[in-house]
Amino acid sequence: MAFHAIVCIKSVIRAAPDGVGLRTPDNSELNPFDRPVLEAALRVKEAEGGTLTALSMGPDVSKDALAEALAMGADRAVLISDPALAGSDTLVTARVLAAAVARAGAFDLLLFGIRSSDSDTGQVGPQTAALLSIPFVGGVKRLHKTDTAWEIHRKMDEWEELWHVTTPAALTIHPGAYPPRPIALRGVAEAFDSGEIETWGAADLGLEADHVGQAGSPTRVTGMEMIQRERKCLMLEGEPQSQVDALIDHLGRLGAVES
Amino acid sequence: MTEPFLNSKHRVLRRTVRAFCEQELGPIAAEIDREARFPWEVVEKMGRLGYFGIQAPTELGGAGLDTVSYAIVIEEVSRVSASMGLCLSVHNSVALYPILMFGSVEQQRQWAPPLAKGEKIGAFCLTEPNAGSDPGSITATALPDGDHFVVNAGKVLVTNGGVADICLIFARTDPQAGRKGISVVVAERGVPEFVVGDLEDLCGMRANPVSSIRLVDCRVPKGNLLGTQGQGLAIGLAALDTGRIGIAAQALGIAQASLEEGVRYARQRRQFGVPLSKHQAIQMMIADMATQVDAARMMVYRAAFVKDSGEPFSLAAAQAKLFASEAACAVTDLAVQIHGGYGYSKAYAVERYYRDARVTRIYEGTSEIHRMVIAGEVLG
Repeated sequence: MAFHAIVCIKSVIRAAPDGVGLRTPDNSELNPFDRPVLEAALRVKEAEGGTLTALSMGPDVSKDALAEALAMGADRAVLISDPALAGSDTLVTARVLAAAVARAGAFDLLLFGIRSSDSDTGQVGPQTAALLSIPFVGGVKRLHKTDTAWEIHRKMDEWEELWHVTTPAALTIHPGAYPPRPIALRGVAEAFDSGEIETWGAADLGLEADHVGQAGSPTRVTGMEMIQRERKCLMLEGEPQSQVDALIDHLGRLGAVES
Repeated sequence: MTEPFLNSKHRVLRRTVRAFCEQELGPIAAEIDREARFPWEVVEKMGRLGYFGIQAPTELGGAGLDTVSYAIVIEEVSRVSASMGLCLSVHNSVALYPILMFGSVEQQRQWAPPLAKGEKIGAFCLTEPNAGSDPGSITATALPDGDHFVVNAGKVLVTNGGVADICLIFARTDPQAGRKGISVVVAERGVPEFVVGDLEDLCGMRANPVSSIRLVDCRVPKGNLLGTQGQGLAIGLAALDTGRIGIAAQALGIAQASLEEGVRYARQRRQFGVPLSKHQAIQMMIADMATQVDAARMMVYRAAFVKDSGEPFSLAAAQAKLFASEAACAVTDLAVQIHGGYGYSKAYAVERYYRDARVTRIYEGTSEIHRMVIAGEVLG
């Protein structure tokens, strides 16, 4: 079977000044943590051949993010979009993605960003893997295929772990691991002129309305409050040397430097 | 806010170009200006990504995009480095575009692919020491001699001159025929009769190697005539029509960068116990800057949209170039003013924007020439 990677990407909200972000095209972008994932998948594809599918769940505006994935080099783009999915929490999102992955065909690797820049939970990747009952490794720095297995490197504190994983497997990619390639102008042109974005609804995935969206979600964000930080200004006086000594002494007492 | 004239392809394009420019050009923009250095390392990357053949057909190695996309690329590159925006604007619109518009199939196959891929850089050689706004008064000659033209030309203020491989030379093929005796011949660098002069020591756009180019008894094959003999000024005007959209987009990019820096500094700098942004005098400046930038943006993208619609666009392009370049000078001036003494220092980017903006009112037709063009269109 030819290599097949599925990359789950998200169209995130760029700014939410009052805690609520509008999902307009200009206020949305491809999750920055997903770009290195696409890069990792493209490099594996370049080495192994095969295809790369980009999958996203979200409103219609997510098509821009999928087009960007096509412009980078993805072969297929699928948007899962349905009014019934609005208000889905991470568990329901994982449930929907798992159903979509099952529909997208046999695959070797299912890849996610380590987290999203807007809701920032980091839960969707591991939850989807759990629902699909496939192995999962998080925060991957490097991956390649040997004759016998997929070798996966991940950093843990000062150690680097080497995992051998059977496929299909799910991974999240460390954001610094694969700097994403710049996108060629022609790639953008082709993504829109000849690229196709398939759209699947909840019914296509065999999901019932009361199991998805807000109705099916066990968790809910009920409030948000801006964290207020109190800032203090301490003026130091005297000669420069004594000011430096006083500063080091002060920072030492705060535990910011070793005293 | 949703922008008129832009579709989702344009939005994605803007985002990808901005990301590239901020990553690759952002860190070196001040340095290449200070050292007057042409950044080959980024130019090569831009070539591979299609920035040198934005509107060229894909079968000739281009990206096959529309004029709105072209304006987006020039705006975004200029927002970070106006010198490089200038390089791309001139290369795409007054070197490559006339070859695509007026070149034979053979000429297109010969010159368009290396230009579109950025392997060769193009230049437009019209201006002479005594012929600028009045191109009909050029004295360069390209006299027929067997299968060749013998070209003698002293061209000045050639954008990309120091690095250009393929140059469109405006010269008289029939010195007796006045304006109708002017033609365009394509000269390639690499022969001793093609002499690149010293780089100009300019106020702004310093990373662009603007130079003089002199051709002395330079034999150019007759097959290098672009269009027909005597068609020179028509080719020049057609090229400048589309070039104006590029320069307008460049001015817009500089103005946009100045607005962003002005806002950033106004929020950060404190005087009289509060950020500058709390002072009404500064708020008035920011409001004027934002409005000028927005109006310029509408005009630039309308002109590009009109061109893409296949309608006559000379008036829209001239108005966009006039307004955007004047706006760029006004907005960069206010950005310097907000920065106070620091704005006059090379330590702050607005000093560069201020210098870069000034020439947008001069090249590709001065503001005054544009007013003539606009008045001519309006009055008939």
